[in-house]
Amino acid sequence: MKKALFVLFVLFVSLSFALTVGITQIVDHPALNQVKDAIIKTVKDENPDVEILFQNAQGSYQNAVSIAQEFKNSVDIVVAITTPSAQAAVNTIKDKPVVFSAVTDPISAGLIKKFGKNDGNVVGLSDLLPVNVHLSLLKKIFPNAKNVGIIFNPGEQNSITLLELSKKFSKDLNLNIVEIPGTTSSEMITSLNTKINSIDVVYIFTDNLLASTMESVAAILNENNIPSISGDIELSKQADSVIGFGFDYYSLGLETGKMVNEIIKGKKTSELESKTMDMDALDLLINLKSAKKFNIVIPESLLDIADIVLR
Amino acid sequence: MEEIIKQGLILSILSLGVFTSFKIIDIPDLTTDGSYVIGGAVTVLLLHNNVYWLFALIIGGLIAGFSGFITGLIHTKTKINPLLASILVMIMLYSINIRIMNGPNMSLPKVSEESSVSLSGTKLDFLLDNNQNDVLLGENSKNIFINPFEENALLKLSIFVFIVFLLYYLFLKTELGTLLRAFGSNKHGVLSLGINPNILSILGLTIGNFLSGISGGLFSMYAGFVDVNMGQGMLVTGLAAVILGEIIFKKDFLFKIPAPLIGGILYQIVISLVIKYGYNIGFKASDLKMATALFIIIVIATRNMEVKKWLNSKISLSFTTKEKVMKKLA
Repeated sequence: MKKALFVLFVLFVSLSFALTVGITQIVDHPALNQVKDAIIKTVKDENPDVEILFQNAQGSYQNAVSIAQEFKNSVDIVVAITTPSAQAAVNTIKDKPVVFSAVTDPISAGLIKKFGKNDGNVVGLSDLLPVNVHLSLLKKIFPNAKNVGIIFNPGEQNSITLLELSKKFSKDLNLNIVEIPGTTSSEMITSLNTKINSIDVVYIFTDNLLASTMESVAAILNENNIPSISGDIELSKQADSVIGFGFDYYSLGLETGKMVNEIIKGKKTSELESKTMDMDALDLLINLKSAKKFNIVIPESLLDIADIVLR
Repeated sequence: MEEIIKQGLILSILSLGVFTSFKIIDIPDLTTDGSYVIGGAVTVLLLHNNVYWLFALIIGGLIAGFSGFITGLIHTKTKINPLLASILVMIMLYSINIRIMNGPNMSLPKVSEESSVSLSGTKLDFLLDNNQNDVLLGENSKNIFINPFEENALLKLSIFVFIVFLLYYLFLKTELGTLLRAFGSNKHGVLSLGINPNILSILGLTIGNFLSGISGGLFSMYAGFVDVNMGQGMLVTGLAAVILGEIIFKKDFLFKIPAPLIGGILYQIVISLVIKYGYNIGFKASDLKMATALFIIIVIATRNMEVKKWLNSKISLSFTTKEKVMKKLA
């Protein structure tokens, strides 16, 4: 009996001293997995003795809530990747730091009151893209383009936010946004095929379903000679976009990991700022092969500052 | 444990809805996956408009019930197979839900202070005419909403669920409820009583989806948000819960209503155990759907009389000699 008590005591001591970080994510997805891997790497590099638990809800929102409940008791810091997982964590956990990542609009998702410092236990990184810059870039590279196709899944909140912003900024630039929606891969392809004749250029942003369907979409664009501009480096490589300007999700994860490290060091969530990705960290990709195909001359000023040039 | 029971109670109302369509009136109904979401969507939308939560919940349930009504109408009037009719309504609800929420995801009302964020500082800012890249994001809300499930949630939920089950029981005891049960066990029998069976189909589907809508509304309030994809697979979850409950609760007592109640809570306990210990035994969260489906198949199969006979014969064959079988056959 005494022995058992001793073992229990040792267990209790070791458990209460080793810090645990729990990561919750809604689905398996290459970009989101990159965020997760980068977070684990950053945290482990600096704090080798921290234990990391990872749970994936596999697309079930009920499971996302169950995971949050489980984390409420078993971990010290919660990291939530994507909007629904973050909503589940924030609404369930009130007394532990919650760090969200890859959420485009954390304010209407009800996670924080405003960007910057907030009271409470929630802080994080938004993956919002500079839509205005993208559209201005589009105007510069394709001066004759008028109809901009946007392929998106109406079931993804992140995409809807970016679409609304695109619509808003397109007015000033005298562009016309053509919506190409699809809730499944096949719907997306059908939708693209029916609207292919009414678009001049495609603006690709970080839609999860689009990312999974990219191969077929790229083939259709290629067949119909429609150029594209991309808000994500990985996607612009897949789609042979003329130009791409964005961050990769791995660096988003690294930034999130740094935030977690700050909290492990003892900072409070109210001392940290919720922000978007550092706009300085965005990479510019130029694909000269595609540019040649569409007879586009890329200005020297852009080539000079490009981070990746594909020839 | 408390949280698991709360989630289980919410699930048990959904299970009661599935129980209504699959067991009481014996019509397979897939509308559930959509009506669960519409219940949540309407509830949250009304909460944004300062409606009292209980009314919001009930209106959400009524609209979800209306979608079941439509399924019943399509099935009975056009003679479309109920499975197909309910799938059609379910996919219609996907579009309708996005309309209701004005987007795929909606959070409970929370006060937001400022919603603009500056995205300036990119190396391409020189392309911008006004050199400004301030982005105004969607606001959440200005009204303060006090979530009823923030305090004494377990007590409130227990009372709520108890009342729902009590009303359901009292309903089944009425003449209409009796007719509904009779209709389930013999679809054409009610004709001899001079009752139009179509009305009973529609009524059953309406009640079933009303309940899943209520469950969806409760889940949204409990989880703090509603998402258009959250209904995916809810029918299978509800069915698994009902079956799980029936294993424990075999007796034909109180019209078997306790089965979905017990099943809902039990299912949630199993899920929590899987989340907690599943990784240790090499079980992945992605295996959960497979496990749930296999569970349903096995339980239903073993209950089937012919499968039972076949199983028995296999077992007895291994014990008896060939001669004995030959004798029996002769």
